[in-house]
Amino acid sequence: MTEVAPRNTVERLDRPSAYYMGKNKRRKYSDDTEKPREEPTDNLKDATTLYVGNLSFYTTEEQIHELFSKCGEIKRLVMGLDRFNKTPCGFCFVEYYTHQDALDCLKYVGGTKLDERIIRTDLDPGFEEGRQYGRGKSGGQVRDEYREEYDPGRGGYGRAYADDQRQREEEEYGKGK
Amino acid sequence: MVESERRHHGPRGGRKRRYREDDDYDRRQRRRYEEPLVVKVRRQLLTIAESAARRAEDDVVSIAKSVTENYEDEELRQTYVDITVDLSLEQPLKIPFIAATVLVANAYKPELASDVIKKASVYLQHYIDTGAWREVKLLLRFLGCLQLVFEGSGIFSILEELFARAVDLQTASSEDLLGLELVKIILFTIPYVMASPATGFEAQAAALLEKTDIIASTPHALVDLVKPFGSEHGDPSGEQSIISLLQTQLQEESNRNWELACLPRPWKGGRDSEEEQRPFDSGGKHTFPQIVVPNPVQNGSRAIFPEVYFSVYANQEIETVPPMSDISSSLLRDSLVDTINTLDFNRIATAKYLIDVDCYFTPHMFVKRATPFDKLRDMSGDRATWKPEDVAVDAVFSQLFQLPSPEHKLVYYHSVLTECCKIAPAAIAPSLGRAIRFLYRSLETLDLDLSHRFLDWFAHHLSNFGFTWKWSEWIDDLELPLVHPRIAFITGALDKEIRLSFAQRIRGTLPDPYQGLITEGKEKDTPDFKYSFDTTPYASEGNEIMQLIRKKATDEEVQPIIDAIEGQAKSMGVEDPMLPSTDAFVTAICFVGSKSLSHVLSCIERNKERLLAIGPKSPHARRQIITSVMEYWVDQPGIGINIIDKLLNYTILTPLSVIEWALVDRLQAGIILAKTHIFEMITATVGKVTNRLRQIVAARTQQGLYEPQLSVLDETLKREKADMKALFKLIEDSIISVAGGSNDELMERGDGSGDLPEDEIIRQWGRRWLRVFQRKANVEESFIAEAMATATTVGTNAPPPQDEATATGVLADGDLDVADADGVADVS
Repeated sequence: MTEVAPRNTVERLDRPSAYYMGKNKRRKYSDDTEKPREEPTDNLKDATTLYVGNLSFYTTEEQIHELFSKCGEIKRLVMGLDRFNKTPCGFCFVEYYTHQDALDCLKYVGGTKLDERIIRTDLDPGFEEGRQYGRGKSGGQVRDEYREEYDPGRGGYGRAYADDQRQREEEEYGKGK
Repeated sequence: MVESERRHHGPRGGRKRRYREDDDYDRRQRRRYEEPLVVKVRRQLLTIAESAARRAEDDVVSIAKSVTENYEDEELRQTYVDITVDLSLEQPLKIPFIAATVLVANAYKPELASDVIKKASVYLQHYIDTGAWREVKLLLRFLGCLQLVFEGSGIFSILEELFARAVDLQTASSEDLLGLELVKIILFTIPYVMASPATGFEAQAAALLEKTDIIASTPHALVDLVKPFGSEHGDPSGEQSIISLLQTQLQEESNRNWELACLPRPWKGGRDSEEEQRPFDSGGKHTFPQIVVPNPVQNGSRAIFPEVYFSVYANQEIETVPPMSDISSSLLRDSLVDTINTLDFNRIATAKYLIDVDCYFTPHMFVKRATPFDKLRDMSGDRATWKPEDVAVDAVFSQLFQLPSPEHKLVYYHSVLTECCKIAPAAIAPSLGRAIRFLYRSLETLDLDLSHRFLDWFAHHLSNFGFTWKWSEWIDDLELPLVHPRIAFITGALDKEIRLSFAQRIRGTLPDPYQGLITEGKEKDTPDFKYSFDTTPYASEGNEIMQLIRKKATDEEVQPIIDAIEGQAKSMGVEDPMLPSTDAFVTAICFVGSKSLSHVLSCIERNKERLLAIGPKSPHARRQIITSVMEYWVDQPGIGINIIDKLLNYTILTPLSVIEWALVDRLQAGIILAKTHIFEMITATVGKVTNRLRQIVAARTQQGLYEPQLSVLDETLKREKADMKALFKLIEDSIISVAGGSNDELMERGDGSGDLPEDEIIRQWGRRWLRVFQRKANVEESFIAEAMATATTVGTNAPPPQDEATATGVLADGDLDVADADGVADVS
């Protein structure tokens, strides 16, 4: 008997990202317990929260609200902050009331522009206290440590990269002397 | 956006040197790799007709031969069968091409065609049972293209049966919409049957058309509700219902021997390397699958409303889209709209198919992509001047401007237009420009809900493209009165742009004459706190409250200052002393919380008890809360209405208080109706009420609900429904006087004649508001009525325990599944 289960003929944009899946896979392999683990997508099947990345440090809650409320009422918005000086560091969590709103946001808003930057959205199992802070060495996001490109919206060069550059310049200056 | 580019290389960054060897290894591997046949056929099928560089006819033959020659390869066969049906459901533009592969295959291996038909019929049965009428339409189209391989009258038998159901439904109720939907399906199937290689069905088609005429041509009462333009100034695009339009076009087409010029015939002229394609009528014939149409049929989850044909490119000096007199207008639109609405899960794919629209219809129907509008003038008379990008964009707008509401969230349609613009900026941007100009010119008559959608899309779209727009061309309109719809649009659009960006940035995109619209106040992150000026009454108390709120002081500490204000107010003879005290309190909260939405929310949260106590004591003071918020944020009303929205969630405000504030207290003889943020605020408030009611309806109508919960929910529903009606009544009563020009203040304006040019504009605003909210009221009313029609009646008790177990078991599985299983059993 034929089952009625049509399959999509093009890729869906409302799936968790390769980053999320990869992150979980890596965890899976490092863990050597034998008991069956949850599929990485299981804790996302009712997810109402999105991680939003590649924001400018200057983008405000109001701007985020303005764009993201096009997909449904926002229950909570948590700005990502620099761990040390508590200023926005270019990411946030947007929580909706329904899973469908979160999926729609992935489909319709992820990859479009906010404040003239292409933003990234990813389904997230839910905000927990502590996750609003950057995990980079200097307090911001890890990706901003080593970035080699100048990005005026995200504090210029990566911090570690900029430190490196400065040191090199100083050394070279010393050589010339 | 360097970052975004980088992301394609994966989180580790693809440019790093140490991965070079891996790349080389991959490349060598790939060279030796031979693609299995199933992978090749799969790709050929999925991308059929997508490329203008390949002849789709040749791919048709190649696919059909690959699969028939390897019929024993079960994986290949199954892949082919599955994808044919999946594509028919998801990419309607490809149906004629997919069907062509089946026609060709049938000549070589009728068993394969039989497999496909079997699968399609199982699906068709399922969708008929569940009332998924778009899917039914698409599968019938697919089978209709295969008419040649069926015995006897083929598809006509099921069309006749659907028609019989439509007649039953129409006879039962003059308000019936489902019957109309069935007729629409029949009408959209006929052209594909008639364009197919099957011959000799002219008489049957004509007979069916004769029968559908009476149903299709009778205008439905609700058509007026969904017309995009107000009736007062005539209809720029005619606005016939889609179904009556198609009926007329089909009759025309039958008189022209079913020319159906736009539909592709990809089964003709296919070549394979060595031999000519075998004539496909040499293949075996199949019985048309037996499909059981339930009596009566049901509607599925998508609500049905009449649809009218909408085009932003109607009445141009040169035709860039098919005119409504041409059946191509309906056929192109229908396929594109279905593509747009089924592929909402991948807007980039949607945009790609839209841009490629010229690949899926008769070649040479369109001018070359991205031909400038001005060039069309030079083209010789007889040639088609249809621009593929206009046809594509027009279809998206038809959905964005669908009343009462489109299938998906509006932002989906925004995102499709954004992607189209990203894929083919040179082609799409000028088309959007002409669409914007048309809509801007139509602002006075366009339905107000749609004006607002236009505004919202326009600002959002520009935010994706550096906020560039030729503002210079509307400079003259800046002289118009402030209440003019065009001024309302310009100020509203700039406000929305600022909300997505910031004032200084938007100022930089505007020519000089517009600079005055970006006031100094809009550039201030923190608006002034009025109590910091000594001239403001209660200045010192206001300041004190602000300091206390900032310190997170307790309620007891705030109370004495509130008392002081109210005491003073009383001594000055203020009628409601709670007004100045509420003003000071709420303005202080706004100021202390001005840094961001979360700041103001935590301020509200901390002072929740006092805020909640205001309303029950004085309805006027409750509305003062709104006044204080909106006045504090007067230059950035977007933030104001956001706060109002949150105050509604806290039940500090009631929906009724918001309506009273705007449409009673502040109506200002109707001037407020020209403010786009007020429309937004009222719409959002009404939306909250109707959403809640729909949730209650969902709870009330869930299956397996028995007493006593049944009565409890029914009571809640009745109460909230009455509240909703009262809300709509208040809106209507307030606006009707403006619309009719009988509003006292309106009559006292100027010389009192009501004949000032602005007076007529204001009356027009009134009529447009009225139409929107009457429609909303109607839609909700009929939604509830429809949902309740099948609800368990109050007083129904749970069946005895042993039965209950089985009953809930069925419900837990979903009763639809059970019905499907039966349906499947019938055909196989």
